[in-house]
Amino acid sequence: MRVHRTLLAALAIAWCVVTLAATAYAQTPLTDADLKTAGAVTTDRANGDPDGSLTGTASDIAVSDAKKGLTLADVLNQVGANRIGVNFTWTLLCGFLIMFMQAGFAVVEAGLCRAKNANHTMMMNFMVYGAGMLAYWLIGFPLQMGGAGAIANLGGSPVLNSEFTVHLFGKDFGLFGNTGYLLMHKGTYDVAIMVVFLFQMVFMDTTTTIVTGTCAERWKYSAFIVSTMFLGAFIYPIFANWAWGGGWLAMLGANFGLGHGYADFAGSGVVHSVGGITALACGMIVGPRIGKYTRAGKPNSIPGHDITWVLCGCFILAFGWFGFNPGSTLAMSGNGGLRAASVAVNTMLAGMTGSFGALMYMWVRYGKPDASMTGNGFLAGLVAITAPSGFVNPIASAVIGLVGGVLVCLSVEFVDRVLKVDDPVGAISVHGANGLWGVLATGLFADGRSNYGGSWNGVAGNVTGLFYGDAGQFVAQLLGVATLVGFVFTFAFVVNFLVDLFVGQRVSAKSELQGLDIPEMGALAYPDFAMKTGDFATVE
Amino acid sequence: MLAAGLVVTLLGFVVAVAGLGIAGGTSGRMAFALAGIVVSLVGILGLVNGHYLNVAPWKK
Repeated sequence: MRVHRTLLAALAIAWCVVTLAATAYAQTPLTDADLKTAGAVTTDRANGDPDGSLTGTASDIAVSDAKKGLTLADVLNQVGANRIGVNFTWTLLCGFLIMFMQAGFAVVEAGLCRAKNANHTMMMNFMVYGAGMLAYWLIGFPLQMGGAGAIANLGGSPVLNSEFTVHLFGKDFGLFGNTGYLLMHKGTYDVAIMVVFLFQMVFMDTTTTIVTGTCAERWKYSAFIVSTMFLGAFIYPIFANWAWGGGWLAMLGANFGLGHGYADFAGSGVVHSVGGITALACGMIVGPRIGKYTRAGKPNSIPGHDITWVLCGCFILAFGWFGFNPGSTLAMSGNGGLRAASVAVNTMLAGMTGSFGALMYMWVRYGKPDASMTGNGFLAGLVAITAPSGFVNPIASAVIGLVGGVLVCLSVEFVDRVLKVDDPVGAISVHGANGLWGVLATGLFADGRSNYGGSWNGVAGNVTGLFYGDAGQFVAQLLGVATLVGFVFTFAFVVNFLVDLFVGQRVSAKSELQGLDIPEMGALAYPDFAMKTGDFATVE
Repeated sequence: MLAAGLVVTLLGFVVAVAGLGIAGGTSGRMAFALAGIVVSLVGILGLVNGHYLNVAPWKK
C-alpha cells in the first residue's frame, strides 16, 4: 500500500514536471538567434528548382541590417508587407478588370445603335475614359475621398483627412472632401492613395459611360465632353463622398442609429443609379431621336445594327463585374477579404437569374426570347446585386437578380411608352431603376453574416436588413434612394440644362438624319458599307 | 412647370432628410423617407417630364 502511494506521488510529480516543462518550452519567445538558424539554411540552386521547393525561403526575406542578419522585426515587417502586397495586387487587378468594362459598354452601345452612328458612339465611349479621368484627377477624387480617412486594408495611410461638414440636428454632416488634388496635395503622393485612386477612378468612369448610351445618336460631341467632365468632377464625387467617403449617408448609423448607415458594397446606388438618373435627366433635355415617336406619340422601335456585338459586350461587362464587386473588399488578406469568394458567386448567380427573368418575361409577353432584352436582363441582375453582393447569401442573390431581370423589362416599357424618354440602349432602366432596386435590396436581404473587420461605417457588427431584423438599415437605404432621386436628379438636371444653354446638347436635324459619323466625327465606322440614312420610321 | 418640377424634386430630398431631425424613431424616419421619395418622383415623372411632353418635338 505504501509502495503504491509512493509510486502514485512519483507519477504525479513526474506529470507536473513534464507539463511545466512543456508549457515553458511552448512559451519560450522566438528570438533573433532562432531566426538566424532558420535563415542559415542553404539551398543548392545549381541544378535549378523544377518543383519549386527551393524558391521562396527565409533567405528571401528582406534584411534591414546586413550585419545583424535576419531579425524578428524583419520577419514581422515582411508579414505586414505581404498582407498589404496581397491586398494591393487584388485591388489593382480588379481595377484593371473594371477598366476593361469600358470596352464592353462601347460595343453594347454601338451595337444597339444604327450603323450610321457607330463611330460617334464608339468615340463617346472611348473618350469618356479620358474626359472623366481628367475631371476626376483634377477635382473629383479630392471631393469624393479627401475626407475618407485611413483604409486599413491598403496600409492605413492617414492623409485623406479633410472633410467639409455642416452641423445639423446636433450632428456633423460630411458634405465633401478637400485633400488629394492632382494626387500631390498634402502627402497624397502615396502608394496606398494611388491604389485608392485607380480603383475609384474606374468606378467613376463606369458612371459616365452610362449616360452616353441614353443620349446616343443625337448628342453633340462637344456637349458630351463638357457634360462628362461635370459628372466626373462634381455629380458623381459628391454622392460618392456621402456614401463611401465618410459623408453623412455613411454616418447615418453612427449618428442616428440607422443600422450601419447607407450600405452600398460596390455601387448599385453610387455608380449605377447616379449614372442612370443622370441619363434620365440628359435624355429629357436632349429629347428623342427623329422618328422615335409618331405624331400621336406612339413609340417606334429603332433596332440596333449588331446584336452579336451587344451580347459579346454583355459578357465583357460580366467579366469586368468580377472586378467590380469582389474587388470592393479592397482586400484578400484580413478584415473579411476572403468573403470576396462569396461576393463573386453572388454576382454570377444574380446575372444568371437576371437573364432568365428578362428572357421569360419577353417570351411570355411577346412570344419570342428577345436577344437585346435578355442581355439587358443579364446586366440588370448584375447591377441589382452590386450593392448587396457583400452582404447577402446566394439564395437572396438569385432572387434579387430575378427581380432585376423582370424589372428592367417593365421599366423599359414605362420609360418608352409612358415617359416617352428615348433611351436607345435601356440605360435608364438597366442602371437607374435596377440601381435603386439594389440599394433597397441591401436593406431587405442583408443577412448579418458578413464580417469586414467587425464593423461597417463605424458601427460594430454586421450589416443586417429588414428581413433579418434591422428596420433601421432599411431606412438608411431609403434615405439613399431619396437622395438619389431628389438631390442627384436635380443636380444633374441643372448642370446639363446649363450645358444645353451654353454649348447646346443636340446635333442638327440634318446631321442626325445623315448619321453622326460624318458630321460629328468626320469618318464612317464602316466606310466600305452602303449606309442607310434618313428618318427611320414615321409610320402612324 | 420645369422650374416647379425641379423645386418639388429637391423638396422631396429635403423632406427625407428633415425626417432625421423631426422624427425620433425608425418608423417616423421611414415615413419621412418614403414621403420624400414620392414627392421627388412626382417632381421628376409628373412635372419635369410633363414639361417635356408638352413641348415634345413630335407634336410640331
